Amino acid sequence: MKYKLGVDIGGTFTDFFLVSDTGESVMHKTLSTPEDSSIGFITGIKELAEKLSIDENKFIQSIDTIVHGTTVATNTLLTLQGAKTALITTKGLRDALEMRRGIREEQYNNHYQNVTPLVPRYLRITMDERIDADGNVVTPINESELDEIVEKLKSENVESVAVCFMNSYLNDTHEKKVTEYLQNQLTNVYITASYEVLPSIRFYERVSTTVVNAYIGVVVDKYIASLLGKLDTLNFKGGFSIMQSNGGVVSPEVVRKIPAVTVLSGPAAAPIAGTFYAELLGFDNCITMDMGGTSFDASMVVDGQCVTSTDGDINRYRIALPSLDIITIGAGGGSMGWVDSGGLLQMGPQSAGSLPGPVCYGQDGEVPACTDADLVLGYLDPNYFAGGKYKLNKKKAEEVLEKKLATPLGLSVTETAAGMYRVINMNMAQGVRQVSVERGYDPREFLMIVAGGAGSIHAGEICRELEISMFVVPNVAPIFCATGMLLGDLKHDYVRSYITRFSEINKDYFLKLYDEMTKESIQTLSKEGIEQENINLIPTLDLRYVGQYHEVPLQVEMNDVLSLNFNEIKKVFHKEHNRQFGYSLKDEGTELEMINVRLRAIGVTEKPNSFAKIDNSEPILNPEFALKSKRDAYIPESEKVQEIPVFDGDKLTGKYTIKGPAIIEQVNTTIFLGNTYDCHTGISGSFIVFNREKYPNGFNLHKEKLN
Amino acid sequence: MIKIDKILLSIFQRAFKSITDEMSISLTKTTRSPILCEAKDFVTGLYDAKGNMLEQTENLPILSFSLGPVCRVILDQYGENISPGDVIIHNDVFSMGNQNNDVAIFKPIFHDNTLIGWAAAKGHQADIGGAVQGGYNPNATEVWQEAIRIPAVKLYEKGKLREDVWNLIFANIRLTMVQEDIKAQIGACTLGERRLQSLVGKYGIETYEAHKQELFSATETMMRSEIAAIPNGVYHGDSMVFYDGKHPGTEFTVRAKVTVEDEAITFDFSESSEQTKGFVNGTYTSTCSAITLSFLQMVNPNIPHNEGMIKPLTYIVPEGIILNASYPAATTFGNHLCPQVADSIAKALSTAIPEKITAGWNHLLCSLFTGNHPKTNEKYVDICFLGLKGGSGALKNSDGYDHIGMIDASGGILDQDYEMFEQQTPHALLYHEYLQDSGGPGQWRGGLGVETKIKLGGDDTTMVVFGDGNVKTPYGLFGGKTSVLNKISLTLPDGTEKIPMSKDMIEGIPTGTLYHQIAGGGGGYGNPENRNKISVLKDVKNEVVSESQATNVYGIEMKEKS
Repeated sequence: MKYKLGVDIGGTFTDFFLVSDTGESVMHKTLSTPEDSSIGFITGIKELAEKLSIDENKFIQSIDTIVHGTTVATNTLLTLQGAKTALITTKGLRDALEMRRGIREEQYNNHYQNVTPLVPRYLRITMDERIDADGNVVTPINESELDEIVEKLKSENVESVAVCFMNSYLNDTHEKKVTEYLQNQLTNVYITASYEVLPSIRFYERVSTTVVNAYIGVVVDKYIASLLGKLDTLNFKGGFSIMQSNGGVVSPEVVRKIPAVTVLSGPAAAPIAGTFYAELLGFDNCITMDMGGTSFDASMVVDGQCVTSTDGDINRYRIALPSLDIITIGAGGGSMGWVDSGGLLQMGPQSAGSLPGPVCYGQDGEVPACTDADLVLGYLDPNYFAGGKYKLNKKKAEEVLEKKLATPLGLSVTETAAGMYRVINMNMAQGVRQVSVERGYDPREFLMIVAGGAGSIHAGEICRELEISMFVVPNVAPIFCATGMLLGDLKHDYVRSYITRFSEINKDYFLKLYDEMTKESIQTLSKEGIEQENINLIPTLDLRYVGQYHEVPLQVEMNDVLSLNFNEIKKVFHKEHNRQFGYSLKDEGTELEMINVRLRAIGVTEKPNSFAKIDNSEPILNPEFALKSKRDAYIPESEKVQEIPVFDGDKLTGKYTIKGPAIIEQVNTTIFLGNTYDCHTGISGSFIVFNREKYPNGFNLHKEKLN
Repeated sequence: MIKIDKILLSIFQRAFKSITDEMSISLTKTTRSPILCEAKDFVTGLYDAKGNMLEQTENLPILSFSLGPVCRVILDQYGENISPGDVIIHNDVFSMGNQNNDVAIFKPIFHDNTLIGWAAAKGHQADIGGAVQGGYNPNATEVWQEAIRIPAVKLYEKGKLREDVWNLIFANIRLTMVQEDIKAQIGACTLGERRLQSLVGKYGIETYEAHKQELFSATETMMRSEIAAIPNGVYHGDSMVFYDGKHPGTEFTVRAKVTVEDEAITFDFSESSEQTKGFVNGTYTSTCSAITLSFLQMVNPNIPHNEGMIKPLTYIVPEGIILNASYPAATTFGNHLCPQVADSIAKALSTAIPEKITAGWNHLLCSLFTGNHPKTNEKYVDICFLGLKGGSGALKNSDGYDHIGMIDASGGILDQDYEMFEQQTPHALLYHEYLQDSGGPGQWRGGLGVETKIKLGGDDTTMVVFGDGNVKTPYGLFGGKTSVLNKISLTLPDGTEKIPMSKDMIEGIPTGTLYHQIAGGGGGYGNPENRNKISVLKDVKNEVVSESQATNVYGIEMKEKS
């Protein structure tokens, strides 16, 4: 038996998804160890061996692939525990990093402070050098200046250095020269330059991304070394790769050089897993939502591809590398309910976290949270939280909810809990609306895929608000990202700036850029063991109409690039611009301008044998045998409490239809069906929940469309 | 009588916000002018049938409270003569417009043939006719030298474009781009219309009416409790305006009398100077916007922005003063009197609520370049945001914000990206850094200003300058000190130096000229000698405070430097 293992380290739990070469899968969760997350990683592997009753050594020998999602980079940025970093930049432009183009996000809040720059001003060192806007050297590097800089870096005990010069995207010779010089002089210092990290136009974006890379580099490097060391000690001989923010995986060697590609390492796997489930069920488009303890993530898959953007940031630090477009809002099980000074009920964004947590956890939490409302409304069983591992204190939740919210609002406890449920659902629906509308998509045309344990209590109402007619709770919902880890291909993104009007494109130069990027990508992928025939190259051009300020990334065909078929590219651009913004300037004859050329190189990896299959058999069985109990729950459509059936979800492996209102319970997942919903099973333990009015005769996968 | 559902209130609040947000996203994506899509100088809003603000998404605070008065003008003008499919355009500053360039689109929203509200979008247009492209004409003395006046007029009637009206308006505006941007504003309003219709369709018109009213009351309660926390009294504050653009040496006073009576507050500017003979004049709406945004920075920043928030506020801005010029005065500069309005209110309330008031912000001094880009042989227009953004004033427990720019925008306008700037203009950015010692010293330090040097390229560059802050520095509070003056200068290739007036236009600037600008910092708060020593040493180490200022002003012996 051979295995593939996905490992996703989160704040509270480390999730594991193991698939054997025969398609059997195992889910596992263990507590995270934030002080050194490689400890939890190894513990989990040992626990898995125990779970399977296989000898530990034998088990490790039989894992041929581990794919890992890590929060080390993100946490370093959130807690500001990165390396002591210096920046070497162009004379006169010392403060671009800290100025952040002069933005203050909260315009009415005079106490709102700028972010602490990752490199303090005294470590931002400028050099008298200059390359002009055409890429010509105006002021060459003076080496004697470098000697002084090296002395300063040594005396300050700097651990990491970022190099970023003005206009280096047009001419990287100065950055190269300085980087090489520093590498020779400062052997134990982490050195990174913008031409390696993000060689594209926009100085602020580039300097910020390069500095983030330097700042997290030392920490990520140490973590990977420690983890690889531990795996080595255990005699692990399989392949090891890491999830990137762009939804692809990559070798640890690349991550050690450009650690900034991992800032969304964990959450990026959700839309990858979403793509898999959407395809399995016969859809091209889906939205994945993941509701955790403190936050709610949503992202989109369109035409089978995850939506990507280059305007991300973490903790207000800009990272302009391509990453999956994931929006995060402060809504989760721990989101606290409060009454504002105008007497209106609000939910979050503050969270009770896991300590003290919601009131019902019985850990001295004194502020009612979303989970308390879910408990009071009957969606959660106080004796079956995490499969009965924890007991929830419903009485205390009701008492605190009454005192803190119901009394000031003049409502009953149930009305208040229902209000909390409604308000937080509205917040999450708005988050989804934002991620879709901003990219020019209508959420009604999407299937919703629900990850995370708490999400499936709320998904029905979120979907009703957005008029989404169907949501899916996959069998792997509680460890969704760990699943996505195993489904990602190797992905490398390359970019070069080439600013020119279409009529003035220098064809040789344009082809040369693609040739360069192609060679580099093939070299990297073959080092990662990918054969030529498993490489897909996807070019993207960042284009705009002359006179516009925002460029639009346009995915194009490699054939059109190589054959210089710019007419076809123009046609596609007009169409895409019209889709996103509602107009094109095709008839006006406005010329196109190119800003960047990009290449995404995909190395198709071997996927696990399918662990989810659709049962196409005819009989739809009666689910009564799986009925666990009945309990009172709040029905949002009728705004009434009513006794409804509770099913044991783990028993529903066959093909059944559950009529709402009902609750389906599993160890880590609770699904609530309101009285407008019905649910189908029969997809290896996944649940398909659909709006009964729209599909009165049930939903036939692969035969019907969403409406 | 509809029973109020407390929870539905929260739902409506979110729904309104989500609608104006979506309208805003749509505008960012669909407009062409960089002032709109890059600087986001626009606002989107939803109003009820009587012109009360339901919600808005503001990008620049100065525009934020400029739609409501126009909505009421439209209601008065058209009465019953409003139909589904109408689109109304407006910019006229003598019928509640705030600035000539800020053109509003209003679209009535109907449900079952009943008017239930308005979707509105107002944005700063790249051109609005008048004598000078872009609208900033320091020589103007009358409105027609600045702009085409558009009193409320229907662009569409019952869904049908009035081509004659459209053509008349755009025959008077230089850039065709403006037509496209107005179409984008109409598009955003249509989006708002559809979303409000579907919301009201879902809950019914009576429920919507009752709950929006209750929402206003809830917000009003929040605002009243904020005002109640201010001690009752009558408070006075002054600020100066220098130079009207026509008559060198002229000075004017903006004088606020703020009366706090329990849960209500009145801002009375009657005692301000008479209107100027140049274009340095406010309009009623721009001044009320300035008052509102200044006061909002002194209260809980989370109060929803709807009609209830404005209700406890009374504005007295009589016609004929510098803040509300009579017909047919030139007024394009009006939005930029916001710093003086803000200063005068802050100074007035500084004794009443000292813990909520900032020291003076840097006043805007700004330049705008136009010329020919030799690479493309096409015209470009560039507002030099890089150079203009100074620091904000400090307040109790917080240093000022560095390089934030004018209070009218409060950090809502971004600098150009350095490299994009060098591509889109023929200029080279030589220097753009914090200016040492420009943060007004204090126990809490004022935000830093910046120094900018640009080598101008291209032939025949024209520079328009507008602003202030080159005569008087921002005030410090409670022992806090001031910052430095704003300054713009040109050094021509032959070595001669030209210093423009604060409202000026210089034509024919040769290539190779060095542009040099200082945008000062904000004022300090509290005695600098009480500043936390570690903060001073950190500032010295980072070279934003000099050793001599640390010693002479902060009283720190520099041998203690760690």
